[in-house]
Amino acid sequence: MRGAKSAKWVAGAIVIALAATACGSSDDNGGGSGSGSGKDGGTFRLGITEPVAIDPYNSQESEGTLVTDNLFTGLYDPTADGHVVPALATSKKVSSDGKTWTFTIKKGTKFTNGEPVDAQAFIRAWNRVAVKSAASDVAYHMAGIEGFADAQAGKAQTMSGLSAPDPYTLQVKLSAPDFEFYIKTSHTVFSPVPKVAGDAHNKAYNEAPIGNGPFKMQGKWEHNKSITLVRNDDYGLTKAHLAKVQIDILNSANGVTLETQGFESGQYDWARMPTPQLPAEKAKYEPQGEWIDQDTNGMNYLLPITDNGPMKNAKAREAISYAIDRDAIIKGVFQGMQTKSTTILPPVFKDVYQKDLCTSCIKQDPAKAKQLAAEGGLKPGTTIKLAYNTGAGHEEWIQAVKQQLESVLGLKVQTSGEPFAQLLGDQQKQGASGLFRFAWGADYPTPDNFLYPLLDTASINKDSSGKVQGDNRARYSNKTFDDLLAKARATSDDTARNAIYKQAEKVALDDMALIPLWNRTQLRLANTKKFANIKMDFHEDPNLPEISLK
Amino acid sequence: MGRYVVRRLGQLVVVVLGATMVLFACLFVIPGDPVGQIAGSDKARDPAVIAQLHKQYGLDKPLIVQYGTYVGKLVTGDLGTDYTQDRPVTEILGPKLENTAKLAVAAIVVDIVIGISVGVLAAMRRYSIWDVSATFVTTLAIGVPSIVLGMIMQRIFVVQLDWFPLIAGDSFKGIVLPAVTLAIIDAALVAQLARSTMLEVLRADYVKTAVAKGLSRRTVLIRHIMRNSVIPVITYLGISFGTLLGGAIITETIFNWNGIGLALIQAIQQNNNPIIVGVVTIGVAVFVLLNLIVDLLYAALDPRIRLA
Repeated sequence: MRGAKSAKWVAGAIVIALAATACGSSDDNGGGSGSGSGKDGGTFRLGITEPVAIDPYNSQESEGTLVTDNLFTGLYDPTADGHVVPALATSKKVSSDGKTWTFTIKKGTKFTNGEPVDAQAFIRAWNRVAVKSAASDVAYHMAGIEGFADAQAGKAQTMSGLSAPDPYTLQVKLSAPDFEFYIKTSHTVFSPVPKVAGDAHNKAYNEAPIGNGPFKMQGKWEHNKSITLVRNDDYGLTKAHLAKVQIDILNSANGVTLETQGFESGQYDWARMPTPQLPAEKAKYEPQGEWIDQDTNGMNYLLPITDNGPMKNAKAREAISYAIDRDAIIKGVFQGMQTKSTTILPPVFKDVYQKDLCTSCIKQDPAKAKQLAAEGGLKPGTTIKLAYNTGAGHEEWIQAVKQQLESVLGLKVQTSGEPFAQLLGDQQKQGASGLFRFAWGADYPTPDNFLYPLLDTASINKDSSGKVQGDNRARYSNKTFDDLLAKARATSDDTARNAIYKQAEKVALDDMALIPLWNRTQLRLANTKKFANIKMDFHEDPNLPEISLK
Repeated sequence: MGRYVVRRLGQLVVVVLGATMVLFACLFVIPGDPVGQIAGSDKARDPAVIAQLHKQYGLDKPLIVQYGTYVGKLVTGDLGTDYTQDRPVTEILGPKLENTAKLAVAAIVVDIVIGISVGVLAAMRRYSIWDVSATFVTTLAIGVPSIVLGMIMQRIFVVQLDWFPLIAGDSFKGIVLPAVTLAIIDAALVAQLARSTMLEVLRADYVKTAVAKGLSRRTVLIRHIMRNSVIPVITYLGISFGTLLGGAIITETIFNWNGIGLALIQAIQQNNNPIIVGVVTIGVAVFVLLNLIVDLLYAALDPRIRLA
């Protein structure tokens, strides 16, 4: 028995060592075949809710991305820890003005129908998304490419900025300098497609996309029922270990509960959990090593309307921040399973993370809150609106914030729970005021994807009626900040650029442009008894291509 | 009789039109842009995209025009186009209706088998321990909400015992828990109803006459007692088929049963109006049709009832 036990330990150690080296090697070349770690085969089972789309032209939320990312491989892949690694790109070159990018594409890889993945496959795919008729929600990620505006306006069917000097070279001309453009190509919308994809509204392709990724579709998307993926044995990069991925589509009303129950009954290998169940599940599964706890690229804020109403004054906003006892809420409402946020950029961006940059976020300070409120014209008795979306588990902590603001600052807080679409609409309305619950997740691992959409003046984008059309719902506008972001985009050196991002973040936090609350900490159950190397990827999904049988 | 059926079918048209009109008006006042809701992300959608989608689905037109278009299509059996999948509503709801029908039929079978047999047995052995416990259990079953019952059953039989699959799919095993959950309250009501009508019938003169004529116990029970006590039960089952749809919303949600109840819940969450209106239209039509069938059945069972 003793012998058997120690043999198991040795085997385990070897598996871990192999897994570690496999990861290391795929990081630097992204190529090669057969990493040699773990056993092939097995079916990985999990539940999601109905995706918006699994065709890259419109794939957007974590659910759809889970499928699309495994069906397609683009130029670069995002890593869970906030970087990108090359996938099909074997080299990249950017002109000194930051406007022309040249990518060489790995030769000899194919779509699962046998068509080659060449530069034309990328050009075809990107144009397919950008044209007006596609009505893609995610086309805006391509806005920097020359000719995008004409394609969106219906004036052109192709973007003038895309060309292929030779079959495996892709040249992209941008309308403004962007030294981080290659990072953006890690988004699923930049995936290549084969000729059979046709236009964006090709139903047959929308339901069963043919891709070039580590997995391929088995059958088509059974709406509200299931999606099945199988290993792509002809994959051009490191092949997946899993033979099959069975994805049940659960209803959103109680999908998370079903996922947890499915895991407990052994019918799922990966699950999210309802918040009230977290402590019990943690107590049960953490000791067994089946508990995943990870800070992701998302953040939770209070969004103050900075151009109107009681939150117009920066000191008033700071007073709000000082009045909130984040520690008490995390302990009382979240059972200690969230971490306090003291920055705008989440800790996953290691290179720019400046812990405790927001001094008012570190610890509740009623005295300081009162003093700043007085200086900022936020008198006791002032009525202030605090709006949130219902049905997503925000009720409890919103009530806690309300009580804290009322007891510390003597404000009258009117909480307003609204359906999500209405909340978004209210944020956009002309004359909006007060505070809104707000969260943001990055689409690609760059600080720009937080700072620019949320806080740049250009992202306010008011229409003629005064409605905010951009993502800068706080209507934050600061020229110093805008200039810093423009400078960052035009800076080719990563280290220098990151330093500028840090400065920009400090400017925004000194103005209290957003009021940070907690990091987006994601918790999952994972069947580590049966599978090796299960982790959470950049999109908070399991890293299917790397998982193997134990 | 033929005229009666035609008139009742005419009523069906009026009821369906009325229901869709009320629903249309309600959906129109619900805040939130159905198109804006589709994506459900934290990010603003491109206004150009939203405008294009509005145009595509005719949402840029006034309510009355939208309703007119809807009714115009409805007469040809077209329930419009879904917002999220961009497919015809009939194509989406067809298989779901089939699933809900399967569940409803299974539930009705459980209703009839459990309900009538428990009720009849209780009536025949009045005040026995069997009768008393049947009354107790059925009263309890009526009191427990199906959502509680469903979740408890799921916890015990799926999670702890692992006897049934979490997601039913198309397997027979999968239908057991949802059907039982859906049926249990109705079955209890049917049992109580069957018991009381049976007790009444047992005291009726024609039963006494039949017994006096020297008919066998078996003949009396089946030809005279059962036939007459089943009439109110059938009326009830006809009505309950309609309420099954309501119950199906809860049951289908708990067990992720891919029927129209679940489709309705999802559509409400997504402001997906074509599906909401479609489900209600189908539901109303099915309900009216079933009532018609029940009335016809009623006349067949009791010749004294005339249809005119």
